[in-house]
Amino acid sequence: MMKKVMHVIRYIFIHLIFIIISFLILYPLAFAIGGAFNQGKSLASMNILPIPNNPTTENFTRLFTKTNYLNWYKNSFIIASLNTIFTTIIVMITAYIFSRFKFKLKKPALMSFLILQMFPSAIGMVAIYVILNSMGLLDTLIGLVLVYTAGNIPYNTWLLKGYYDSISKNIDEAAKVDGAGSLTTFIRIILPNTLPMIAFLGVTSFTGPWMDFILPRFVLRSDKNKTLAVGLFEMINGRSNDNFTQFAAGALLISIPFVILFVVNQKYLVKIMSSGAIKE
Amino acid sequence: MRKKASLSAPIASALFMGLGQIVVLKQYVKGFLFSIFEIFVLSNSSKIFNKIMGLITLGEPKPDLPVAERDNSTFMMLEGLIIVVIAIIIAIIYIYNIVDARNTGKDYEKKGVVQSEREFIHNIGEKAFAYLGLSPSFIMLAFFVVIPLVFSFLIAFTNYSAPEHIPQKNTVDWVGLQTFRDMINLKQYSQGFIRTAVWTFEWAFIGTLTCYFGGMFLALALLDKNIKIPGFFRTIFILPYAVPGMISLFIWAILLNGQFGPITRSLRELGVIEWLQNIGVLQRDVIPWLSDTTLAKIMLIVVNLWLGFPYFMLMITGIMTSMRQDIYEAARIDGASRSQQFRFITFPLLMYQTIPLMIMSFAYNMNNFGGVYFLTNGNPPDSLTTQSFAGTTDTLITWMYKLTLEQRLYNKASVVAIVMFIVIAPFALYNFSKTKSFKDGEL
Repeated sequence: MMKKVMHVIRYIFIHLIFIIISFLILYPLAFAIGGAFNQGKSLASMNILPIPNNPTTENFTRLFTKTNYLNWYKNSFIIASLNTIFTTIIVMITAYIFSRFKFKLKKPALMSFLILQMFPSAIGMVAIYVILNSMGLLDTLIGLVLVYTAGNIPYNTWLLKGYYDSISKNIDEAAKVDGAGSLTTFIRIILPNTLPMIAFLGVTSFTGPWMDFILPRFVLRSDKNKTLAVGLFEMINGRSNDNFTQFAAGALLISIPFVILFVVNQKYLVKIMSSGAIKE
Repeated sequence: MRKKASLSAPIASALFMGLGQIVVLKQYVKGFLFSIFEIFVLSNSSKIFNKIMGLITLGEPKPDLPVAERDNSTFMMLEGLIIVVIAIIIAIIYIYNIVDARNTGKDYEKKGVVQSEREFIHNIGEKAFAYLGLSPSFIMLAFFVVIPLVFSFLIAFTNYSAPEHIPQKNTVDWVGLQTFRDMINLKQYSQGFIRTAVWTFEWAFIGTLTCYFGGMFLALALLDKNIKIPGFFRTIFILPYAVPGMISLFIWAILLNGQFGPITRSLRELGVIEWLQNIGVLQRDVIPWLSDTTLAKIMLIVVNLWLGFPYFMLMITGIMTSMRQDIYEAARIDGASRSQQFRFITFPLLMYQTIPLMIMSFAYNMNNFGGVYFLTNGNPPDSLTTQSFAGTTDTLITWMYKLTLEQRLYNKASVVAIVMFIVIAPFALYNFSKTKSFKDGEL
């Protein structure tokens, strides 16, 4: 009897903790959503509870008419898309070669990849500035994409190479006996077998650049080339009290697609994250 | 002439690339390719020499010329660096040319024949796929990752900084270890440095541990069969991971606004602030969430936990669901209690699999720019900040950012980068030694 009571108390306790944590997670988000529909512009004009008195969409209207928000959105979208395309193609090929070919300098190359992936590209930002400047790519979206793609190569190559390694080499040897060249084997056999991992790679290289701040701040100088992260930062930095509701509206429009993406795919995410990262 | 091929061929090739292959070994295609390469290098030799000289001198100050025509030290440094890389590649090809001549010569002495031209071309075709396929990624890595890292490293040994030494108006010079000496001798810098490094370490360490154990607790609790609607709770718990981090951080900065933030206002309504004022903890009607050093540091850790636990929760959920269930059954039959099962089975297995992830996460936290910059901006400042520009909650990376972008003290920022490099490298190597392919020795 005593044991059963303890048992019940324990589960009530855990559920209570869950509810408290849920509140701590939902409140900040709800507060921002409330802010997006708030009538006044300032933080002081908001209720403590995230329910605005007279809900309005004027923050969104102002965002589209008074700021360059749509332009920032477009720039971030272009950068993310190009980064996805470049990264996926380059990493797919690089990882395949590292997984299936024997050549000189393979080991040192893989070792340096592993060390390189530990350093954020921000460390070399002055040099990146000078390099892009000398190539005439400063203040262009494509320049930034090149830097992102290069930075993505080391880590993702390791990730995908590990996945390729897990596919039996007998299959491609059989294909080779049937007269398929390296390229055909890659397209017909390796690629279909690794699609889930490549999709994951595509998604991460798409979501990565959206909120990156240091590099776009350094590389993209003109207003027309600004990304969302830099635009929103300038909107709120130092003026959080005045511009919060407008910021919240802008933030809401970015977060919705991300939240849908993650929530819908959470089961898949759990699987791929642990399969890619676990080292046995 | 072909009798002592293993001696004469390499000597001829050392004199002029490809000569040994053509004259001694009669490998015309290969020798021709080597010769063309040498002719190309020789015809550009004055250019190569100039660029390397540029790297050494970094240009002369020419105050009478208009600004746009003066020597641009950073360009010269960059070009020099690229040329040095190219020179190393040339040297490798040159040595390969000699080694190849010697090996083919030896082969010839043994067998009396050399590899035919057709065979050579066929072999190149085989290897070309690997090298050709790798070249785009290697070129990109060289230009946008490796050279920038080396460049930042070199800047630490120059005086590249505002206001005196910014090209193209002025030149930059090599100053050896002067920047290091300056930073050690200027008390503001050395103390700011130590404070920042210690806090960076604390931040990364505590940040990783809190997120790891927070995530582990929730993952294990959610897997408990007696929990109602686990899917609903899990979906909520994922949200901080799904919302872009920068946005969450700004929202938190707003929530923690000392005067108008909803948390402060709630506490004010509840009379907590008044009570704290009465007992003398607070001086004014505001709570310095982000403007008191200690409180700001605690808030940084708390917000980092809010943002970071879902990653470990998802990871550990994945590992737990793929764990073999028969161990638990065996343990139950042996009469192990639930806490014993956790202590002797689950926890050791989890730790074993996730230590590399923790190390990764530790390195990530050390470099986590947004987690500090967007919440506190490195503030509040103190007496050390006026000259060193390091606020009390600045980490190495945000300090480096400030030195670079706000103060343009590139040489000092570079010294900070070198220290970050030295701190991070052991973790990189440790993680490397843990990888499967390293252990198997196959790579």
